[in-house]
Amino acid sequence: MTRVVYVLTAAWQGFTRSTYMTIASTLTVALMLLLFAFFVVTDRGLQSAVSLLESKVELVAYLSDDAKLSQILDLKTRIERDPAVARVDYVSKDDAMKRLKDLASDRPDIGPIADTGTNPLPASLEIKLASAQDSQRVAAELRAEIGSGAVTDVADNPQVVDKLLTITRVLSIGGLAVLGMMLFVALFVIVNTIRIAVHARRDEIEIMQLVGATDRLVAAPFVIEGMLVGLFGAAIALLALIAGAGPVTAALIQFLDILPVSLGPNFLAQLAGGVVAFALLMGAGGATISVRTHLAK
Amino acid sequence: MISLEDVSKRYPNGTYALRDIDLRVEAGEFVFVVGSSGAGKSTLNRLLIRDELPSTGRVSVDGQDVARLARSKVPLLRRKVGIVFQDFKLLQTKTVFENVAFALIVTGHDGGTVRDETERALALVGLTSRRDHFPRELSGGEQQRTAIARALVMRPKVLVADEPTGNLDPVTTWEIIKLLVRVNELGTTVMVATHNAEIVNALRRRVIHLDHGRVIRDEAEGMYAA
Repeated sequence: MTRVVYVLTAAWQGFTRSTYMTIASTLTVALMLLLFAFFVVTDRGLQSAVSLLESKVELVAYLSDDAKLSQILDLKTRIERDPAVARVDYVSKDDAMKRLKDLASDRPDIGPIADTGTNPLPASLEIKLASAQDSQRVAAELRAEIGSGAVTDVADNPQVVDKLLTITRVLSIGGLAVLGMMLFVALFVIVNTIRIAVHARRDEIEIMQLVGATDRLVAAPFVIEGMLVGLFGAAIALLALIAGAGPVTAALIQFLDILPVSLGPNFLAQLAGGVVAFALLMGAGGATISVRTHLAK
Repeated sequence: MISLEDVSKRYPNGTYALRDIDLRVEAGEFVFVVGSSGAGKSTLNRLLIRDELPSTGRVSVDGQDVARLARSKVPLLRRKVGIVFQDFKLLQTKTVFENVAFALIVTGHDGGTVRDETERALALVGLTSRRDHFPRELSGGEQQRTAIARALVMRPKVLVADEPTGNLDPVTTWEIIKLLVRVNELGTTVMVATHNAEIVNALRRRVIHLDHGRVIRDEAEGMYAA
């Protein structure tokens, strides 16, 4: 018990002794954690956006007016058998015309569609895909049928998803690189902060070793001091995150004109937990490096 | 209690601090280790607490081969071998009581034991009335008595004193030596490294004389010089 009191008291004294160094290292850690959180949120947001868009990816196979119903049903069954396909819907010529009319009624620039008695719109099969990656293959297979069967044309729009996937990949790699550098800087600062603390208490450490204190006990106050730096850094980062999250998200949505991606309270709790755990781990790790180096001398 | 068999300590630059040392110190002995500066007295002390490792030979304390001790077991050795230095090594921000109690706290003793044992050690060295003073408020003799109390509070089997009176005036020197004799009478093995001829000659205890890292004399009731 007296040992625990000693360790905690010594850790707190160390944390509060050299104010400037403590503030500097805490802020560096906070900045690193903020970057970490931002990176995680962005990555998560983009992934949500990708899956949202992926769920909208569809192919449309336009059908010849001459196609027999049996041909169309046969085609539909074949497409449905593909594991990459989630759903196939038949849109008749009448359905297509009705959709056009509905669309036109909301858009004055198109104007009302006059009923001429003829319907130039083709019937089609709308194919929803289970995964966006397969859209090009499925589209190619359908294109191969143009001319020989019921299919007259195939429309797909995978470019958006492809671009988004590329952005996500670039951001992931770039973010990881920046994060790695920041992690190095933060660890460096923690190691040096604790090294100064160790230096300030070298007499105490020497006496502890002479009277037979274990290395673990000698190290404990410093490790906790490092964890305090991490903890305060995490608190600052999370406060900044809470303060900044609303306005930044709003600005991003406005700027990018994308759908607001809901991250959910569960995600935020996980993020906060992750930030704190990461901070504690980094503080403890940096401090351990410093103390072990000193003890190994 | 202590045995050195064929022990040499050679530093990387090639100089020998100790050379071919064979000696035994039995439990309950009081031993002076004498010799000029650089004769190897401090190195000998550091070997006993495994602050240094012998280059060759075997050092054992209380039956344990010190060199073969795992790093994690070194603290247990140091709880058996108390050590005091010429410069006292007291923590200036702690009181006499706190300096002594510190040894017990950092070796994991509970609050009651810390209080009782610290008071016992302070009574033994005669510092009970000075318990709440800081080292800077104490005389040199009182500071050394605090350091001795800190070593004794662990109830060590061996007390090693490295030039304990080097910074003290003759009167205080005698106080400290008398205290060490008393500690020895209470059952602790005591090894005192010194180059104070007067006390060695007055006490007529065992004297181990080191010169350039070698034992040149080992007498049961020796004098400072042969």
